[in-house]
Amino acid sequence: MTELRLHRELYQAAALEQALGLFAPHGTFVRKEEPSHWVVEITARTLERERRIAGELGNYALGLTVKGRKR
Amino acid sequence: MDVQGFPSDLLTVDLGASSVTLRVDPATYSLDALYGAAYIFIDRCFVLLDKPDASYRVTLAWKKREPTTDELRALVGEFANELLSCAWRAKISEDSRALIESVTAQALGGAMGPPTLEELEKFDFSDETFEDPLGIAMSWEEKHRKKAQPDDANPVDGAKVTEATATREKP
Repeated sequence: MTELRLHRELYQAAALEQALGLFAPHGTFVRKEEPSHWVVEITARTLERERRIAGELGNYALGLTVKGRKR
Repeated sequence: MDVQGFPSDLLTVDLGASSVTLRVDPATYSLDALYGAAYIFIDRCFVLLDKPDASYRVTLAWKKREPTTDELRALVGEFANELLSCAWRAKISEDSRALIESVTAQALGGAMGPPTLEELEKFDFSDETFEDPLGIAMSWEEKHRKKAQPDDANPVDGAKVTEATATREKP
């Protein structure tokens, strides 16, 4: 299991939600909330795959957050 | 592990995780600049932003094979340059915001069409006329008015000229 922690001040909740919806077929995601972070626990077939999914998920959420701020 | 050319308190390299971590001072680089630079790099590496304390923390992780120290150094160097570029552009944009808004407002005002009669009634025409020593504001008719000749059939100022000539001819 790989844990991805995204700071709530830097990543929009809607962006993370949309990213999770898109990546749902690629693994199992458990979303938790902490006072300062959104936490996503990622489970996939291999650790390397989990790392890649975590990275791509973070990038996607970041991209949506940046686009969301420009509007 | 230190990377040549970067202060050790700002940059950490983790070769095992194929990543570099850069600390960014929010007083120098705005969040918009950080987002701008991060957005440019998301197709090249995994970018993770965090805020562990007052400063931002950027982690750039290699996407595929294991990178060398030189590759990581080049990556973080390019990111730092892009961050500076974004910060500078944001500053220029902020400084010229008033001018851009003014020009846009004038353009939109012009596009709204000619003023109505009510708007013209309310308009203040009391400003003093400007000086025009070269006659630029004069109409064509005023500028090229035919000079009065004594034998003109219909001179512009014919009446006065004829009268003056007649007076002169009298003994």
